[in-house]
Amino acid sequence: MSSVQPSTTAEDALLRSGIDRSLRHPVMFFMTSGAAWLAVSIILGIIGSTKLHSPEFMDGCAWSTYGRVFPAHINAFIYGWGFQVAFAVILWIMARLSRQECRSAGIILTAGHVWNFGVSLGVLGILAGYGTGMPWMEFPFFAWPVLLISYIAIVIWSFIQFRVRPVGHVYISQWYLLAAVVWFPWIFITANTLLHCLPGHPVMGAGINAWYKSALIFLFFTPVALGTAYYLVPKVTGRPVQSYSLAKVGFWSLAAIAPWAGMQKLTGAPIPYFLPYLGAAATIMIALPAVSAAWNLLRTVSGAGEVADHSPSLRFTIAGIVGLLVMAFAAVFLNIPGKTLELTQFSLSGYGFEILALYGFFSFVMFGAVYFIVPRVTRREWISRRLIKMHFLFSAYGLVTIALVALFGGLLQGVGQENWKEPWENAADFAYPYAMATTVSWGFILFSNFFFFIHLTLMWLRLGRRSSHPTLLVAHHGGSPHGPEGDIDNAGPAHAH
Amino acid sequence: MSLRSFILGLSACFGFPWLMVVVVPFLKMRDIEPIPLVDDTGETIGVFNPKRTGRIADGSKIYAENGCYLCHTQVVRPTYAGNDLQRPDWGGLKTDEGDTRRETNAFDFQGESFAHIGVARLGPDLSNVGRRVESLYAKGTDPEMWLYSFLYNPRAEAERRRSFCPSFAFLFKETKVTGARSEKALPGVGSETTQILPGPDAEALVSYLLSLKKDQEVPAPLNFAPVKTAAAAP
Repeated sequence: MSSVQPSTTAEDALLRSGIDRSLRHPVMFFMTSGAAWLAVSIILGIIGSTKLHSPEFMDGCAWSTYGRVFPAHINAFIYGWGFQVAFAVILWIMARLSRQECRSAGIILTAGHVWNFGVSLGVLGILAGYGTGMPWMEFPFFAWPVLLISYIAIVIWSFIQFRVRPVGHVYISQWYLLAAVVWFPWIFITANTLLHCLPGHPVMGAGINAWYKSALIFLFFTPVALGTAYYLVPKVTGRPVQSYSLAKVGFWSLAAIAPWAGMQKLTGAPIPYFLPYLGAAATIMIALPAVSAAWNLLRTVSGAGEVADHSPSLRFTIAGIVGLLVMAFAAVFLNIPGKTLELTQFSLSGYGFEILALYGFFSFVMFGAVYFIVPRVTRREWISRRLIKMHFLFSAYGLVTIALVALFGGLLQGVGQENWKEPWENAADFAYPYAMATTVSWGFILFSNFFFFIHLTLMWLRLGRRSSHPTLLVAHHGGSPHGPEGDIDNAGPAHAH
Repeated sequence: MSLRSFILGLSACFGFPWLMVVVVPFLKMRDIEPIPLVDDTGETIGVFNPKRTGRIADGSKIYAENGCYLCHTQVVRPTYAGNDLQRPDWGGLKTDEGDTRRETNAFDFQGESFAHIGVARLGPDLSNVGRRVESLYAKGTDPEMWLYSFLYNPRAEAERRRSFCPSFAFLFKETKVTGARSEKALPGVGSETTQILPGPDAEALVSYLLSLKKDQEVPAPLNFAPVKTAAAAP
């Protein structure tokens, strides 16, 4: 997968460790502050979700009202965790695949602080009652130029590295990551200028907002996660991608389908009739790139034997790919006009689908990448395999509950909403048990990610194990499965196992 | 594939749908054509001018800032997209005197910069909430006062004990009573020496909510209701 053949393995290893060293602080900064935002977001999510079944909880207090806590939760998740972990992964994978050391760690770190500052102001702004009321764009007006400028200052270097890379093959991960890097500012500028700067029709504004949400999922988070998975799976298993041409088909079909999706959330609203139908059709067709990528990656893993069980990166990545399959199924199942769309349009299913995409698919692949990248940039191994196992178990358990509950609870809620012969309160009753289950599962996810954050911080402080053996999720009596421990700093550049 | 052709490919894949579903519809909908009003003889007598009064821009901002759109929608879908019109008080009112129910049209959001279509219906649709409060909920009392009391404590009335709506008590202020109680003081709350008054944000929000009404007759091109043969002869 590398673009030039190195003259010797030693030279190649030196280049790799040079890249890792140059990126240590940017990568660890984005991952750690991302994990902190994730914990903040989940706490806000728990407060919000509790209010859905027990409205007396912290009632009448301005900052903790549902209408402020919930947007703060989802925006902290997206811009605090999602984007920052994506930055870390884009920077590292693009540098590795372009075979270029990072020469602008200082600027990236500064821009990263500005990004965090923007997100903090945005979240506090929402809680203080300055939200804009546009879903996923609730940060007060001043935040978006700050985010845009720091975004460009963070990712532009990966683009330059790609431009000056040694000539050669471009790997599919680079396609996906570059595409995400290019699409996001386009989407972000479009949505923000059309909604904040140019006066337009209010209903079309709502349509553009729905398109923005969908585009962020399918044109930023999805390509970042797929690019990462296409990097991790062959790398960890040591097997080439099952079908490289299928990978390309998956990429171009995502690029051709995803930008049409989103406006099905406005079915029946006074916007041009074709827009919601196009949106529903495109969302259903997302299954095509999603299933082809998932099949391709799972086929690549399936021959690898026990590696898949032992590698923490691979375990998270595979879970993420399964999440992608479920998401593809949900995209088809929830958006059929005239059948399920009218049931899910205004029910809990919307949130369930978003969490499935953002946590079940994107975040799981990102966790896989974190477990792969951190030992390389810190030159230390993970401290505890039990912490990793706990992280996986509680995250997966919590996520499965949230997704099932929100998708099916949402569908039932929709049935209640559409049943106009019964009083409206009946529909609300349908949602009640599901809201309760959601709170409990966010609790599990919080528990798992609290330990993740602590683990990551300790790794950044370079308190990891000084060992040249990778951390595997398998217990061996009497030491490591690789034989006696070695000290990574004295062993010279490590060879791939 | 060179970087240039790759970027071109990306731009083409994204740019075409971007124009088709975002930019062109945005520009087209910026200036929707006014709808001519035609009288019985077929002569144009002016344009349709949707009536809406209240502190719409202010109130819409408070509505947004406090996240009302997370649980309440403001769209009554036509029958092909859902059963909203069947509910007796969502798209208008169905009473013994008549039936004013209709679906949402593009003129309903006049005065707002962003239509709060909403993301979920954990509470009822609010397209017609002003009309609903005036005719059904307030039961002869002042509709404004009914909404203030509801926002202050949504679970106060016996039949609303199970409401999931949060209390917006933070939009109200408690003041000492000097002399007579204020006319605006909320009934039944506060102590002997204090009264609860709506703050400026609560006033804007209530004025906005009461402006959400579907009682104005719409011109023929916007009226998709089937012709009611029984009531056709005036």
